[in-house]
Amino acid sequence: MLHCGSPLRQTFLLGLAGALLLAVGACGPSEPKGAAAPPDMRRLTDRQYHNAVADLFGSDIEIGGRTDPLVRTDGLLAVGARTARITPAGLEQYSVIAKSIAAQVTHKSRREALISCKPATLDAPDDVCAESYYKQVGKLLYRRPLREPEWQNAVKSAHDMAVASKDFYRGIATGLANMLVTPQFLFVIDDTEPDPANAGQQRLTAYAKAARLSFFLWDTTPTPELIAAAERGDLHKPGALSNIVDEMIASPRFEEGTRAFFSDFLGLEKFETLEKDSLIYKAFSNVVANDAQEELLRMITDHVISQDKDYRDLFTTRKTFLTGSLARIYRVRVERPDGAWVPHEYGPDDARAGILTTIGFNAVASHPGRSSPTLRGKAIRESLLCQHVPDPPGDVDFSLFEDPNSPNKTARQRLTAHATAPACAGCHKITDPIGLALENFDGIGKYRVDENGEKIDTSGDLDGVAYKDPQGLGRAMHENPATPACVVRRVWSYAAGRAPTNAQKELTAYLDKAFISDGYKFVSLVRRIAKSDALYAVAPPQNGVAADRRPLRTVEVQEN
Amino acid sequence: MPAYDNPSRCKLLRGLAVAGSLAVAMLPAAGHAAERLGFVVREFYLAQHNSRFGDECPEGMAASNDELWWRGLSKQDRARLTNNGLRGQDARGGIAMLRGPKGENVCVNPDAVTDPPLRVVRGKYSYGANLDGTSDGKATPKTCAHEKFLSHDGKTAVDNQLYRLVGCVYGWRKGGYIETQASEDRGVSNLGMILIEISGVDNRRNDDDVTVSFYRSIDQFAMDGFGKPLPFHSYRVDTDDNGKPTYGDKVKGRIVDGVLTTARGDVSLPYYGLYTFMNPVIKEFGLTLEIPTDEKLGKGQITGYYNMSDFLNFVSGMAGHTSATDNCPSMWAKAPSLADGYPDPKTGQCTMLSSAFDIGVYPAFVVLPTDAPSGKAAKR
Repeated sequence: MLHCGSPLRQTFLLGLAGALLLAVGACGPSEPKGAAAPPDMRRLTDRQYHNAVADLFGSDIEIGGRTDPLVRTDGLLAVGARTARITPAGLEQYSVIAKSIAAQVTHKSRREALISCKPATLDAPDDVCAESYYKQVGKLLYRRPLREPEWQNAVKSAHDMAVASKDFYRGIATGLANMLVTPQFLFVIDDTEPDPANAGQQRLTAYAKAARLSFFLWDTTPTPELIAAAERGDLHKPGALSNIVDEMIASPRFEEGTRAFFSDFLGLEKFETLEKDSLIYKAFSNVVANDAQEELLRMITDHVISQDKDYRDLFTTRKTFLTGSLARIYRVRVERPDGAWVPHEYGPDDARAGILTTIGFNAVASHPGRSSPTLRGKAIRESLLCQHVPDPPGDVDFSLFEDPNSPNKTARQRLTAHATAPACAGCHKITDPIGLALENFDGIGKYRVDENGEKIDTSGDLDGVAYKDPQGLGRAMHENPATPACVVRRVWSYAAGRAPTNAQKELTAYLDKAFISDGYKFVSLVRRIAKSDALYAVAPPQNGVAADRRPLRTVEVQEN
Repeated sequence: MPAYDNPSRCKLLRGLAVAGSLAVAMLPAAGHAAERLGFVVREFYLAQHNSRFGDECPEGMAASNDELWWRGLSKQDRARLTNNGLRGQDARGGIAMLRGPKGENVCVNPDAVTDPPLRVVRGKYSYGANLDGTSDGKATPKTCAHEKFLSHDGKTAVDNQLYRLVGCVYGWRKGGYIETQASEDRGVSNLGMILIEISGVDNRRNDDDVTVSFYRSIDQFAMDGFGKPLPFHSYRVDTDDNGKPTYGDKVKGRIVDGVLTTARGDVSLPYYGLYTFMNPVIKEFGLTLEIPTDEKLGKGQITGYYNMSDFLNFVSGMAGHTSATDNCPSMWAKAPSLADGYPDPKTGQCTMLSSAFDIGVYPAFVVLPTDAPSGKAAKR
C-alpha cells in the first residue's frame, strides 16, 4: 500500500530491485509464462476514431463534435477506455457524426473513389452491390470479416432507404451510418477462439491481435494489409508476427502511435482546456499552447525514435524544437519566427534541460494566474514516477497560501506556511520539494530568478537525491529507478488496455529488466511488448488475473 | 627620414597590424563572448514640443487642403461635390486635392496654386540636438542660416527645422492623424519596420565600444492581445537577391549607465504609413537610447538631417488620406526657406531639415542572414 510519506522507501526498494535486475541482466531476460488477462473491450479514443475514419475514407472527411470523455484510470486514458461506456447523449453524438461521415463518403464527389461497386441504377436498391460494399468496408470498420447477420442488416437498411428515397447512395449511407454506431466499430473487442496449442485454453483471434497491435503501435485501425495478414494466420506465427511488428515500427506511422502514447502518458489532453490570465501572461495564447504541446511531442519523438536514445535522457536533454511563439518566451533567437519549427539546442549553462523545463510541462501544471509547485510535483510523482498522491481533503484551508497581503513573497514561503497544517503536510512533503525546483519557471514556463523581488530558492531533494536547480532535478529524475520502471508499466498498460496486476509481477519484472538491458530504449521496449506472448494471452475470467486483480503499482511491486 | 616612409616597409607593417588586429578580434572575450542586443522599433514620432494651448503657434494652426478647397467653392458646388454635404472631409480628399486652376492635383503640382503662407512654429523650445555646432544658427559651409531653438533646460541651442515646418499642422502634431495612422499601418503590416542591433556588447550597462546597426524587418510585429509588441520575438532582416541586408548602416556607439549614444553617421531607415513609403538617408544621424531592461519599452531619440524632398514627396504621396489635416502646396512653398542643412553646391539652397524623432523600442532578436541555425542561436 502506498503511503504519502513513503517515496524514499519506494526509491530504495526500486533501486534495490533495479540493482538486482542489473546483476542478472547479463544472462539475458526471457519472458515469463502465464499472467494472462481476461478478454476485454475498449472504447476508441477520439483520436483513434478520427484516425480510423481518415484511414478508411480519407483525411478530408470532416468530423465535427466531441464524444464522451474518457476517465483517466491507473494513469492512462487508454486504461479508462476499458471501462468507458456510452451515455445516451454520447450515442446521439456518435449518431450525428456517423450520419455526417456517411453522407460525405457517399457524396457524388467521393463515391466513385470510396465505393467499389456501381449500382445498376441510381434510383433503386442494388442488394448485390450493397452486399459487396458492406463486406469490404465492414471488414475494415469491424477489424474482422462481417458475420452474416451483420452484413445482412446493413443491406436491408440500405435497401429500405433506397426504396423510400429512390436513391441508391442514400441507402448505402444509411447502412454505413448504422455500422459506424455499432459497438463492433466503437469498441476494440478482444474476440477469442480456442487455442489449438493448449487444449481448453482460449487465445485472441488473429484479427483481435491485429487490432491490438495496430492501436498500440499506430493509434489507428488495422490496415487492409494487416487484416490480410490476420486472415492468413500470420499473426499466430511467432516469426511472422515479429516481422510485422518490425515493419510497423519502421513505418513513419509509428511516430503517430508514439505521440499518442506520450500524449496519454503526460496527460496532454489538459492542453485542450488550458487557460491563462491574459493580463498576467501577455505572451501566452492559443498558438503558444498548441506549440508548447507540439514541442513536447517533437522533443520526445525525436529523442526516442529518431535518435533512439536512453529514455531517461528526456529529463536532461538540451535538444528541442521551437517556433517563434515559443522562442520569445524562452528568450532565444530563431531563424524562422514565422511559425516554422526549427531545432534548437540549449547551452550547458542554460536553465533549460529536459521536458520538465519546457513551457508545456510547466504551463499545464500551473494555475491560470500563477505557478504551482504542488501541481508540478504531483504531475511528476503521478505521471512520470507512477506514484499515487492522494487528493487534498475537502476542507483544506488555502487562505494562508492565497492571502494577497501575505508577507511570504515566494511560493516556497507560502507553501511552508500552508503545509504546516497536519492534514496537508504529508502530501505536500512528497510533491512540493520537486515542484519548488521548477519555480524558476512561472505559470507559463517563462524563466525568472525572483518572485515579488525575492530570490527563488530551487534547492531540494528527490527521494534522497539533493539538487539545487531545475537541471539538478532533471538529473535526479534520470537516476531515479522509478523513472524507467514507470514508463515500462505505462507502455504495458497502454498496449494491453489494463494496468499490470499483482498476478503479472513476474512479467513487469521481466520488462523492467529487459528495458535496462536494452539501454532504456523506448523503441526496444515497445518492440518487446508488441512481440511478447503476454500481450496476446487470454485467461478465462475465473482464472489468471482474476486471482488478484489489484493494479500493480510501482510501490506494491516492492512491498510484496 | 620618417620611419614609415618606405612603402614596402609600410606595407609590411600594415600587414602585421592587420594580422594583429584580426588575431585580437578573434580572441574570445574574457569571461563571456560579446553579445548582440536587438530591438524592434514600435514608436517613431517627430519629437515635438506641443504646448497645451498651442502657444508655439501664435498665428494659429495651418489651414488644411480641405479647408482651402472648401473656402473656394460656391454654395452650389459644395452641395454638388459633397453629395449635398453628406460626404465628409475624410471621404472627399481625392476631390479636394484637384483644386488647381485647371483641376490639377495640387499635391502633385504644388506650384499650381498660391496658398496662404504656412503657419510655422515660433516657439522658443524644441527637442533635438545642436547639429550645426553654432549657438546662433549662422550659416556654415555645411548649413544655412536659421533660427535656433533652445532645449527645455535652456542650456543648449537646438536645431529642429522639421518641427518648425510641421509643428503647427494639425495632422502632424503629436497624436495627430498622420503619425498615429502611420504607426497603426506599420503595426498591422511588415512594412517600414525598423530593427536596431547593438553588437559587441561586453557589458549592458557600460561599454565604450559597441556597433549599432539598422535594418528593415520582413516579419510583422508579434503582438499581445492588447496590441503591444511581445518582447524577445525574432525578426528577420530584409535582404537583397544576394542575401545581403537591404539596409544595414552601422555606426559606432558607447553605453554609459545603460544609455546608448551613437557617434554620428549617415543612416538609411525605412518608413511607411498611409500607403506611402519613404526611405530617407538621415545625414549625421545620432541615436540616444535607454536600453530597456527586461521586457519594458525603451525610449530613445534620433536626431539628424532629414532630406527635405523625401519628406515633401511623402507628404504629397499620402495627401489623398490627409487632406483634412495638412496641405501640400504651402508645405512645399515654406520648406526651402526653413531647410538648414547640406546646401546645394550650385544654388546654395539647403536641401535638408534638421530633425528629431522620439522612438520606442522593445527587446527583440534580430535574425541576420549569417545567423547560424537555431542550434547555435543566442539567448537573452
